[in-house]
Formats: sequence, structure tokens, C-alpha cells
Amino acid sequence: MAIKFEHVSFQYKSIDNKGYLALDDVNVVIENTGEFITLIGETGSGKSTLVQHMNALLTPSKGSMNILGVKISSTAKENKDVQFNPIRKQVGLVFQFPEYQLFEETVEKDIMFGPKNFGVSESEAKKRAREAINIVGLDDSYLSRSPFNLSGGEKKRVSIAGILAMEPDILILDEPTSGLDPRGRDALLEVFYQIHTSLNKTVLIITHDMNTVYEYAKRVLVMREGALVYDGDPVKLFSRKNIDNWNLDVPDIIQLKDALESNFHLDMSGTIRNKKALLKRLEEVLS
Amino acid sequence: MDTLLGDDILDMIEIKNLGFSYQEDGVALSDVSFNVEKGEWLTILGHNGSGKSTLSKLLVGLLRPSSGTITVDGQVLGEESVYDIRKKIGIVFQNPDNQFVGVTVKDDIAFGLENLQIPRDEMVKRIDEYANRVDMADFLEKEPQALSGGQKQRVAIAGILAMKTDVIIFDEATSMLDPKGRKTILKYIQKLNEEGVTVITITHDMRESVLSDRILVLKNGEVLKIGPTKDILLDKETLESSNLELLLPLEVMHTLEQKNITHPKLKEFLWQLSLNT
Repeated sequence: MAIKFEHVSFQYKSIDNKGYLALDDVNVVIENTGEFITLIGETGSGKSTLVQHMNALLTPSKGSMNILGVKISSTAKENKDVQFNPIRKQVGLVFQFPEYQLFEETVEKDIMFGPKNFGVSESEAKKRAREAINIVGLDDSYLSRSPFNLSGGEKKRVSIAGILAMEPDILILDEPTSGLDPRGRDALLEVFYQIHTSLNKTVLIITHDMNTVYEYAKRVLVMREGALVYDGDPVKLFSRKNIDNWNLDVPDIIQLKDALESNFHLDMSGTIRNKKALLKRLEEVLS
Repeated sequence: MDTLLGDDILDMIEIKNLGFSYQEDGVALSDVSFNVEKGEWLTILGHNGSGKSTLSKLLVGLLRPSSGTITVDGQVLGEESVYDIRKKIGIVFQNPDNQFVGVTVKDDIAFGLENLQIPRDEMVKRIDEYANRVDMADFLEKEPQALSGGQKQRVAIAGILAMKTDVIIFDEATSMLDPKGRKTILKYIQKLNEEGVTVITITHDMRESVLSDRILVLKNGEVLKIGPTKDILLDKETLESSNLELLLPLEVMHTLEQKNITHPKLKEFLWQLSLNT
């Protein structure tokens, strides 16, 4: 079971009736366990539109999708028997700036809202709220607090806990770390990585931060003008040719590695994907 | 010399013992003092919740201090002077969508000028001039939904430039942009500063601070440290204690020094590299 897109196109309607092609013939398969994927691309390239298809908030103008066994096509007639609720429960989507969507008087109630909406009992929802708040790295004492008096990073964690409490198979997050300071960003990325490794869930993150892509992702998707132009290994993505063609920002690690190699002829070959590995190698070649 | 002439004032902004508390959340800033020289570029670095956005709102008179004073170009900020001072300080905020007030790009740039009651001929001239400066001249009749985040931020900058303020504050103005948008905005900031505009950038992105003259680090509402950019960029302890990080080349430099590994030219090379991020 997976998410499978076949020739999916999506056209936004505009006032002048010209329309705007936000997705252009996208074919992609996302497994429902064990993946850690980053989705990148310039503003307006179709990233958010793509993930809103993955839990059927939007349906294709052309082409079809199979989401965890449910077929969704481009006509209302064919989709009339589709049950959308189970899809939205199984594919959890966290919007950009989810903290703006917190609304309950306590953190606990806010986290319980989603599962209760999907028919989970009060006591089960309570249990899940406690589990979810711990997964995102906050302790139980947060449950009784008002979500409005939390810091930006804490609010983001609470809203992610709200999605986790629905126990989705796939977790999708739209720019979850934007606006966070470096420590807040690293801590949250660690949370996603934990969800991926310890719960074996598929996690997909939209980001503009190439360091995140290079350091964490097993697979990277690149969108450009509505088309999916790259689907594969992050290490291969950052080759000279792709960087020039797609106007990519180069991860700090690669910039530094390349500069050291070409200016000091130090051997920086092999897989060096994070700060720790880079420092270790430098120590070896310099001492 | 004891003469006190307006032109002798070197400080564009002088902040003394500034404090601010929110009714619900308590103290946001306490006893903050620093100055910004005319033509200087100061970076204010701080973690989420350090009080940096509160500080920028105080500077443009959107909030009123609980204690202390803000002096802009020799004039103390208060109820009566706030309108004068807003002619001197412009601010570009984080979210490009929250500050686009016009129906078109042209309207948006005109908005501030209308408030200043600039004559029509002069207004038209300035709109063209500053739209050109941020490479948005071809977009004057466009609506905001036709623009990317970076383009909207450029329009916001044009609107402030057109008002010819002496100081521009960029409050996390690049944090919601894609890499290309971020780099373009940074280039404009650099150019403005070279032309004599006093710049304050508020950020937690170290890459934005490398070109500034000085850095101030805020932590939990207090000034943890202020100094020349180079000193602060290399100050691992100060940065990490306030949830920030060293730029990667400088982190490498620091680690090599700790391990007593020396290499001819490598240190200078890493420093230069950190300025290019």
C-alpha cells in the first residue's frame, strides 16, 4: 500500500478564467512505511499543491491517484463514492504555520480534537494526547497549559502532536522549521527523524533548507513549475549540472568539502553528510 | 569641542535602559541599552522569544516602552514625536502577505507616500524610481497574488525606500523566502547600506549577519553581548548559549583550534568562506 500518482495535473481557476497549471503531469510513488523524504522547489513551484493532493484535500484536474488503496480520479462522478475521511486520518498533513490553527483552551483539548473528530473515544483520545506530547519532546505538564502562552517552537510541536494523535501512517509537514532558531530547528528535525525511525512511519517534509535535505533525507523530490523534475538520492542531486539547471542552493557541508578539496587538495571523498563526519575526516587528513 | 550642532550627532539611534512587559506574558525586554551610528549596519541576533521583534516594534513606535528611552536622530520617541520619527525609520516585516496593502504594486508603493502627503508628480517619479531599484518596474500594475514572496518583499522595500527614511529595519524579512528570494533581498540590503542608509537586521540566521558592522546578541530580553561582527561570529559560547550556531566554516575553525591542529592559510581561508555564505 502506498500513495501512487499517475499523470496528475491540477489547474487552479482564476477570475479571468485562464487558469493556472499548478501540477503538470506528476507521476510518483510514496511508500506508507519507512521513508524519509524531503520536497524542495522555488516558491510557486507546486510543492504545497502536491502534498494537498496526497491526502485528497485537492483532487486532480487530470490523471488519477491511488491513496492507500482508494482510487481518486479527475471527475466528480467517479469520485462520488470515495470516503475522504479515512484518507485524511491516514495521511496526516501539517500545514505551514500550524500554530495559527491552535484554538482550544488547553493543549490537551487541542491535541484531542483531531482523533475525536475521527470517532475516537474521549478516554482513548486522552491517552493518545499524552503519548503524542511526549513524542514531540514536551512533558505531560504542557497538557493543562493554554496553547496561546507557548513559544513559537512549542506551538509547532503541539500542532504536530495533534496530527500524530490521529495515528496517521504517513506524516507530511509543509515547511515545519521555518521561523525557528537553529536549536529549535535541530530539535524539531530530530523529532521527525525519531518518528520515522522508532515508529517506522513515512515522513515527508517540504523545506527550503538544503542542509536538512542533505543531512536527513533518504530521498528528495524537486518541483519546478508544477513538474516533478527529480526523484531520488540527495547526494546525486547536488551535482554541478543539477545545481546550475535548477538554481539550487548548495548545502553548507558540500560547499565546504568542495572548497577544501580544490584549495588544499585534502581528501574529502566518500560520504560526508553531516558536521560530525566532516570534522572527523578533517582531523584525520590534517593530523 | 563643546558646540552642539545637529550635524555632529553621530548616533542615529540611542537606546537607554529600555524595558517592556506584556500584560499577560510578563517581561519581554529589560534594561536594554545600545546605540546605532549613522550609516551603520547592526545585526540583532536572538533566539525565538528573545525579545527581538518586541524591540523592533518599540523602535517604530508600535509599542510604548515600560521604561527607558529611544532617541532617533536627536529626537526622543514619544507620543508627539512618533509621526516625525516614523518618517525616519521604515520597517520590513517577516510575512510578505501581511504587509501588502495596495491593490497593485504601484498602489502599494504609493501608500506610504500618500501618508506623507507627497505631491502627485513627485509621487509618480518616486514610484518609478524605486520600483526600478528593486527590479519590479515591470510589475507595477500586477496584483499581489501574481507575485512570489520575494517579489512582495521587494515591493515592501521599494515602498520604504520611496519614503526616503534614514533607517530601515528588516525584521526577519528573509525567513519566509526561498533561497533565491533570500539572496536577492540580502543584496538590496547591502547596497542600501553602502549608499548610506542605516540598517538594522533582526534575525537568527547567521548568514545574514556576516556583512554587517556589528552584532548585538539578545537573550531572554537582555543584551548578552554587542561587538564587531567578526568577534561575535567567532564567539561559540555566546552564540550557543542563546540557541544560535556558528557558521559551518567557523565551527570547523574552532574545532581545529581546540584540537591544536594548525594548517598554513586554512584559518584565513575558512574565515573568507564564512563571509560568502
